[in-house]
Amino acid sequence: MNVKETSMLEIRNLHVTVDGKEILRGIDLDVRAGEVHAIMGPNGSGKSTLSYVLAGREGYEVTEGSVRFKGRDLLEMGVDERAAAGIFLAFQYPLEIPGVTTMTFLKTALNAQRKARGEGELDAVRFLKLVREKAKPLNVSDDMLKRALNVGYSGGEKKRAEVLQMSLLEPALAVLDETDSGLDIDALKTVADGVNALRSSDRAMVVITHYQRLLDYIVPDVVHVLSQGRIVKTGGKELAHELEKSGYAAYGADAA
Amino acid sequence: MTEKATQNFIETYERTQARLPGADSWLSRRRETAVKAFAEAGLPHRRLEEWKYTDLRQVLEKAAFAPAPAHEGAVILPDSRSAAAFAAIDRYTVVFVNGRYRADLSHTSRLPKGVELHPLVDVVHEQWARDLVERRLDDGRQAENVVDLNTALMNDGACLRIRKGVKLDKPLHLLFFTADAGASHTRNLILIENEAEATIFETHVGAEAGFANIVTDVSLAEGARLGHLKLQDEATGAVHLATMRTRLEASAHFTSFTLTLGCGVSRGQNFVLFAGEGAEAHVNGAYALRGTQHSDQFCVIDHAVPGCTSHTLFKGVLDDSSEGVFQGKVIVRPHAQKTDGRQMTQALLLSRNAAMNAKPELEIYADDVQCAHGSTVGELSRDAIFYLRSRGIPELQARQLLISAFLDEALDLVPHEMARNALKSLTDDWFAEARA
Amino acid sequence: MAAVRETVETVGEVEKYKYGFFTDIESEKAPLGLTEDTVRFISAKKNEPEWLLEWRLAAFRRWLTMTEPTWAKVTYPPIDFQDAYYYSAPKQMAKLDSLDQVDPKLLETYAKLGIPLTEQKMLAGVAVDAVFDSVSVVTTFKEKLAEVGVIFCPMSEAVQKHPELVKKYLGSVVPTSDNFYATLNSAVFSEGSFVYIPEGVRCPMELSTYFRINEKQTGQFERTLIIADKGSYVSYLEGCTAPQRDENQLHAAVVELVTHDDAEIKYSTVQNWFPGDEEGKGGVYNFVTKRGDCRGVNSKISWTQVETGSAITWKYPSCILRGDNSRGEFYSIAISNGHQQVDSGTKMIHLGRNTTSRIISKGIAAGHSSNTYRGLVSVHRKAENVRNFTQCDSLLIGDRCSAHTVPYIETKNPTAVLEHEATTSKISDDQLFYCMQRGIGEEEAVALIVNGFCRDVLQQLPMEFAVEAQKLVGISLEGSVG
Repeated sequence: MNVKETSMLEIRNLHVTVDGKEILRGIDLDVRAGEVHAIMGPNGSGKSTLSYVLAGREGYEVTEGSVRFKGRDLLEMGVDERAAAGIFLAFQYPLEIPGVTTMTFLKTALNAQRKARGEGELDAVRFLKLVREKAKPLNVSDDMLKRALNVGYSGGEKKRAEVLQMSLLEPALAVLDETDSGLDIDALKTVADGVNALRSSDRAMVVITHYQRLLDYIVPDVVHVLSQGRIVKTGGKELAHELEKSGYAAYGADAA
Repeated sequence: MTEKATQNFIETYERTQARLPGADSWLSRRRETAVKAFAEAGLPHRRLEEWKYTDLRQVLEKAAFAPAPAHEGAVILPDSRSAAAFAAIDRYTVVFVNGRYRADLSHTSRLPKGVELHPLVDVVHEQWARDLVERRLDDGRQAENVVDLNTALMNDGACLRIRKGVKLDKPLHLLFFTADAGASHTRNLILIENEAEATIFETHVGAEAGFANIVTDVSLAEGARLGHLKLQDEATGAVHLATMRTRLEASAHFTSFTLTLGCGVSRGQNFVLFAGEGAEAHVNGAYALRGTQHSDQFCVIDHAVPGCTSHTLFKGVLDDSSEGVFQGKVIVRPHAQKTDGRQMTQALLLSRNAAMNAKPELEIYADDVQCAHGSTVGELSRDAIFYLRSRGIPELQARQLLISAFLDEALDLVPHEMARNALKSLTDDWFAEARA
Repeated sequence: MAAVRETVETVGEVEKYKYGFFTDIESEKAPLGLTEDTVRFISAKKNEPEWLLEWRLAAFRRWLTMTEPTWAKVTYPPIDFQDAYYYSAPKQMAKLDSLDQVDPKLLETYAKLGIPLTEQKMLAGVAVDAVFDSVSVVTTFKEKLAEVGVIFCPMSEAVQKHPELVKKYLGSVVPTSDNFYATLNSAVFSEGSFVYIPEGVRCPMELSTYFRINEKQTGQFERTLIIADKGSYVSYLEGCTAPQRDENQLHAAVVELVTHDDAEIKYSTVQNWFPGDEEGKGGVYNFVTKRGDCRGVNSKISWTQVETGSAITWKYPSCILRGDNSRGEFYSIAISNGHQQVDSGTKMIHLGRNTTSRIISKGIAAGHSSNTYRGLVSVHRKAENVRNFTQCDSLLIGDRCSAHTVPYIETKNPTAVLEHEATTSKISDDQLFYCMQRGIGEEEAVALIVNGFCRDVLQQLPMEFAVEAQKLVGISLEGSVG
């Protein structure tokens, strides 16, 4: 079977409730390796819910439907198992973890994933070399790496640290949740360059955003409009521009 | 009606007083006063505000420890990680077995000139030792009843005097080992003279359940510096009660760190009195408890003069049905202006049955001061665990990483780099053991 | 800024303890001292049913076996409980049908206190119950409240007209055996307010009680009971004053609050009992037990207090968070000056799941006073997902006063997140200089800065009280600088 032909991510009729309230009401989505999908939608349409469900966060109850990732039932897998299998979520609000330095965190994460995949752990020297190599283009300084993870980072630094993690962990599927929020144009470019450098024929990306702005820099292959828990329209990258002009009103929601 | 445990201690006194150090001196009179005061007050119990969360009377009634026997023969120190924690550090070592000094196991040769180190019996006739024993730090906030018990029955201890301007070149390691069950009463006396310096490690380990009642009286003269590090990892059934009373003269500097891992019931009392301006005290600690362990950290910092600084941080993790207690008080006396007094206590509850009680107090009688305290209690952040897991770190490892990071904030304050790393690896092991 | 300026200006106009006058009015008292007969006398005066007399007598007998608590950080000479009157009533006050029958001297008294009782002059939307020594003088807006089913009347009237409610709730939050002063109160309480808000009713106006101790040597023992039935809401204000006297007056009140499912009670106090003179002579001993029981799910009780008066304050308005998702709040400003001693705080007892509490305490000590925050946050084994945030800040003015913080934090459930912060500071010379350089006098500057320090709490007060409270902050601190 040709891998290219099958979907890496296959979502079927996904229904999700949070605190008893239905947020996703039947999502269907296929993402193949090498593709970049954008999911756009107004606030409250369920964008972040979708990203959390893929990552496996507690409190998101799948009431119906299925999600398969590289042929496996994703919903049966634990959070870290999913990460080791190649799912990476770039958080809209990366967590601050006092006391854990970014360097320690990166090393622990990378080696845990390598171990789960049956690869050997990297020794300190090779690891350090690798991190520096990945950090450089993203403008992440040694000083930043020595500080506690995300603690006292500016908004831009937090997002760059997320992209650094992605670049180091080399996921098969990267889900970027509102990666543009809180960034000025220069920071946005740095982050987008980092993301674009990771585009490849064996990697897929799902870019979640409210605004079209980010998609000028990370150009998607497919654009979906999410509204009230359903994908209401799918098109090419031009759909994003169309939305920028007309807003979300046509899709049953206010252009918040 | 006196309780059995109190009565037992009094009887021990009556039976053994003639054989205790200093029997023919001022000390026997001092002991007599102390035992009377102790008989009147009895062992502290939970109706006393300071002992609200730890009922020592009840604990000792139940455990009923006889006096610890002298252990004359060969001793094999346990090869536990705690006993060996400081093995790699170049240091002087003084070993006590069942509360008694063992010259044959100690290594104190080539102490620098101006450093005097003796067992208690050898210094009771010296004035400095008498001054320390007879000293009262203030108006009786010193939990005098347990100190009285110690004064009445103390039979050994490490007594260190460092002469003016002398710096102890290597850490002095006091290793207390409980080889046989029983009660022991140890009195350590430490006098650091003007501009002199020392670092002291204390390790308390045991094969058997004993009751250790340790009092350490410390005097830091002008500009003196003391780094003190204590590791307590005694047997599960043991009861550990340690009282440290430190008086600081002008510009003196005191750093203390206590790591508590062992014992069924432990209580660490730290009394600090600032008697001269410009002095600084850092009283910190960490604890990791499991099973039905109970640990109470009690800390009173008394700013009696202006311009002193005190910082306190205690962090603990509580697993299973363990119980942690932190009671702290910063007192700023009238006219002790420009005081900087800070106190923080944080606890992580790892299990459904663990419990934490905290009582961080401020008592302020001067206006131009900066005083603050804080307390947090909670479990590991579920969001943080999720974040770590979403990066592929398995749950157990994520928890361990977060717990280590939590404790490290306190352990980073250990006043000796190699010792700091030694303690960090002990807490890492603690967690690994828990999940083994 | 304009509002603050205005406050500062008003502060300047008000003289020291302006509530310190005495109203010369004939009164009827119980015989001096406290015996079973005193209890019977009070009960008979109030024409009480047998069960209530028995209830009082049981409390009295229990009280005889109890000793005064000594753990608070306050000192005072022993109180002779036999050298006080336990009941005092203005003579003509037997029964009133309308305001016109009220002794004009009394109306004058309340007018002097700034509490107009004639309804046409009333503050818009505030119903008042005025308690003079041991009896209720007048309750306004009764009919209007009755239209929506709200019961707001003196406790003695509630005993007659709504015995089933009183019997059901009295002592159900603060049992007669609770503590020395609460037990004493249970034996001899004479008056207080009773409030019942029926299911689903949002009380259309603020309810308010003004307490006034007038007679010499008279203890005041009011008993307030507020019940908010399912889904109801009420905001209740309480104000207190007493004349200036050399001897100490005892005030030992009990307040009980009960909220059922989805109900909310907001209880605000401005306590300005006479604090004693400059030498610390006289003043009210304010030994009060206030407790709320969030009995129902999603219910809420919020205490806000501005404590500026009394020689000694011993007071811990507390919340028992029994119902799941219930919430308790405690906002406090405690100002002590002269020789005042304050030991006040709260208890938040978390029993139910998802219960939350918030404690904001601002203590300001000046003169020779002592100001202690004492609080307990307790989380029981079965209380899941409890959240508490506590902040206690102390401000010291001058170097002869003291401020203490004594928090107890106890948890037996790992899902609790408890945060406690406390700071102690003084008004910085830089701040004072800055204000004074802009032309503000020193005392005004202090009042301004202290009001800023208390802002988080002042904001919690209903509008009518907030203005009064801001003025009080300034007045209480007069003479504290320079």
